[in-house]
Amino acid sequence: MLALSLLLALGAAGCGGDDGGDEAGTEASEGVDEGAEPGGTFRTQTDAFEWTGNFDPTGEYLATFLGLYQNLLGRTLMGYNHVPDAEGNELIPDLAEAEPEISEDGLTYTFTLREGVMWGPPLDRAVTAQDVEYAFRRIATPALVAQYGFYYLGVIKGLQEYSDAGGLTEDPEGETPIEGITVQDERTIQFDLEAPTGDFLYRIAMPAAGPIPEEVAKCFLTAGEYGRFVISSGPYMIEGSDQLDITSCDTMQAISGFNPNQRLILERNPNYDPETDTPEARENFFDRFEMTLNTNAQDIFDRVRQGQLELAYASEPSEVVREYSTNADLEDRYQINSGDRTWYITMNLTQPPFDDIHVRKAANWIMDKEGLRRAWGGEPKGLIANHIVPDTMFNNNLEDYAPYATEGDAGNLEEAQNEMRQSKYDTDQDGMCDAPQCKGVLHVTRTTDVWANMAPIIEESFAKIGIELNTRQFEDSYTIIQTVKRQVPVSSTPGWGKDYADASTFMVLFDSRSILPEGNVNYSLVGLTPETAQELGATGTVEGITSVDDAIDSCNELMDEERLDCWQELDQQLMEEIVPWVPYLQGNADFVISDAVSKYVFDQASGDPAWAHLAIDQDLQQ
Amino acid sequence: MGRYVIRRLLWTVLVVLVVTLLTFVVFYVMPPGNPSVRFAGKQPTPELIAQVEKQLGLDRSLPEQYAHFLRRLFLGDGTECPLVYRPLCSIESVENFVVLDTGGCATGVSGCGWPGLGMSFDSRTAVRQELIERTPRTLSLIFGAAVIWLVVGVSIGVISALKRRTIWDRLAMGFALFGISAPVFWLGLVALWIFTVKLPFSDSLGTGYVEFGNDPVGWFTHLILPWTVLALLYAAFYARMTRGNLIDTMGEDYIRTARAKGLPERRVIFKHGLRASLTPIVTMFGLDVALLVGGAVITETVFNIQGLGNYAVQSAVSADLPAMTGVVVIVAFAVAFMNLVVDIVYAYLDPRVRYS
Repeated sequence: MLALSLLLALGAAGCGGDDGGDEAGTEASEGVDEGAEPGGTFRTQTDAFEWTGNFDPTGEYLATFLGLYQNLLGRTLMGYNHVPDAEGNELIPDLAEAEPEISEDGLTYTFTLREGVMWGPPLDRAVTAQDVEYAFRRIATPALVAQYGFYYLGVIKGLQEYSDAGGLTEDPEGETPIEGITVQDERTIQFDLEAPTGDFLYRIAMPAAGPIPEEVAKCFLTAGEYGRFVISSGPYMIEGSDQLDITSCDTMQAISGFNPNQRLILERNPNYDPETDTPEARENFFDRFEMTLNTNAQDIFDRVRQGQLELAYASEPSEVVREYSTNADLEDRYQINSGDRTWYITMNLTQPPFDDIHVRKAANWIMDKEGLRRAWGGEPKGLIANHIVPDTMFNNNLEDYAPYATEGDAGNLEEAQNEMRQSKYDTDQDGMCDAPQCKGVLHVTRTTDVWANMAPIIEESFAKIGIELNTRQFEDSYTIIQTVKRQVPVSSTPGWGKDYADASTFMVLFDSRSILPEGNVNYSLVGLTPETAQELGATGTVEGITSVDDAIDSCNELMDEERLDCWQELDQQLMEEIVPWVPYLQGNADFVISDAVSKYVFDQASGDPAWAHLAIDQDLQQ
Repeated sequence: MGRYVIRRLLWTVLVVLVVTLLTFVVFYVMPPGNPSVRFAGKQPTPELIAQVEKQLGLDRSLPEQYAHFLRRLFLGDGTECPLVYRPLCSIESVENFVVLDTGGCATGVSGCGWPGLGMSFDSRTAVRQELIERTPRTLSLIFGAAVIWLVVGVSIGVISALKRRTIWDRLAMGFALFGISAPVFWLGLVALWIFTVKLPFSDSLGTGYVEFGNDPVGWFTHLILPWTVLALLYAAFYARMTRGNLIDTMGEDYIRTARAKGLPERRVIFKHGLRASLTPIVTMFGLDVALLVGGAVITETVFNIQGLGNYAVQSAVSADLPAMTGVVVIVAFAVAFMNLVVDIVYAYLDPRVRYS
């Protein structure tokens, strides 16, 4: 219990209130509350459905899914109140009736499920501890490609072994139990961990760890298929769920309300009992929810303006940002909150000239971050980033930490040149990178507007210290930079958002154990060893690269303030001693809503609107 | 004629095959990265990637993959089809996931069947089903626009040719110049801005697609803007081409002969002049319609008509190889088929053309 209290406190501490508030345009919106009434249909459109696991909770990691699932569709043992700021990142018991019992050594967590939480149609039965256990069997089934599996495999005792044995099979009789998961009775489940894991409850709050009914899901043992058959345990269900014939696998046809390319339609789950929930977590005002695809983003915003939609779930064109952020009448219709994500330029520690720390520091000094923010749309798009983890996740403790602060965030040539003079690539000590390696340096970026607008600013900044970039824009730039052997020296493509409010979800980007030949997210190759380099086909300066693996492990063992301090120190170490990035923007999550939205709340945990608290004034709908 | 059509249809199959081979080489042999990585999560370990490759069939050798693709194309999805997308008949022992061949099943409830186009990497749905849903949208767009551009383009071309060097000719060619110069995406956005934002028609003229069967009036009103925008470019081309051809034709000896025989001018123009000058228009029309099957991307995107062109782009972005290949197969077939239609119509329009 103590451990949980500490963890909850950490949650509160990890994500402070508004983003400081002093800097113009960066104060979080206060939401909207004009008297919420139940009823109506909440309509939103997106310009792209980008499911990563086809909406199957076991495999899906798209933030959109996390928000929708946690707010509307599914109950997990631990959950959130779906509110903004620090409070929004605090864990609450959701499917669990109370906080779990945690053993003194932090290795055993025992949850008791609430009574009365029912599966939606067509199941019509209580959610049980076996359903939770079944979710973990799915996570450990390789064929289901659990994209968050790393949060559980090797953490819960025996789960990795179960996975190694193949996980769920067509012959359930042949399966072995998972050592670290014990279903004590219908409502009690115990987890035994391999080692103390400070953020285990955050992991338990992920949709993948929520209950899944075996009688339906057993028919879908290939990644993504269950996504068309998700059974609700929350206040809403996918439209047409009640038509699903679960007599046997062959009678099941995909639920009509969800088409991964076109629409997600939800309606009230008749089996949901508000008594098993709290209004603080879910108010469930609207009767029906529609998220559909509109390939024309501008049209989405026009429709919101005309009252045909309640919310635009799409990236705002710059003119929309300008209009809504400068027009006082529209101010409360443009909702801005910290998105708990960092946008950055990554530098490859193995590739010249970025294999020299002084060049990387010079890059941080010279970068026109304000210019980059303008390319994004200006202040509404976020705070200037000066370090790795968003301030909100450090309770703003590092708000004033800016090791490369420059006036107006426009870059400082003198400091940059001072740094460059110490580099081996400045052969005549004039503060300019003049070695041949400084010319034609490959810079990979995206093709979309923001990145196209940023490219000349980045080129210009680097040129001031003698580095001539050869910018190449790729539709699939992530694929390029995630392939180690392509050896991209510098890229402005990436950004990273939290999975949950713990800095560990950022530090994985610097863990040498996560360096993969393809799909690698440790773009800078922090901690790369010559042996790993040889395996992956990486060449360049592969010797003497500092590793932070031990520091990551140390922090992961800690809890409470110690844990927070540990991550903060590591963040600072990375920025000053390794310097893998030029972080430039702590991205906001901003949404345009219509006049018909009578209650708007932001969900800090998911970084999306708090769907469970939104309400509409039907009289203002078109 | 029957033999001619059969021979051409066989050629069509061959053309489609060659196109699929080229498509396969482009998308499967030379992709910029491993598509499996995209579907293996945030930390795609080699084991996860291998698992995804296995599920997507990318673990097989390239010739095997192509042979598999062809087998599906000609024999249908069969047992490759996941359980949930199969027809309801002939499935046995489902509890144990032992499924019999579905070859004899009626199609309808399932997305799978013949021709088999495999499963979308991205949405795990049958590509065939996606194409069945999207094709009517694209065809609605193309044929409506084609009627407009044909009627408007040919009419303007005729008027312009017959009223050479008059104000009508200049106006018509001014229209053509505008139509050719104005980018479709710009026209689309301007049209939307005017008719759905500035004018109070937004509900009836808005973006999106309404099924004809559900609401014929809504289908028409939602398509009138995209039809017009898409047709404008082509109408301009057709007007210029009709004008030029008709002017040339009207100078031919047989036209002079027709007039000398005392035929009414209307008959001379429409029966002898226009008919002959339409031959190249027909060629162009056939190819334009066929290419638009997968090529009306911009119009579909601006007007939120989620048709084949939009699907092709979406698939390309998400490295959804079966979906891309599926669209290419459809477009290749459309081009080959429309060529056949054009050749048949040729013989009707030009007596010199014989099916032999």
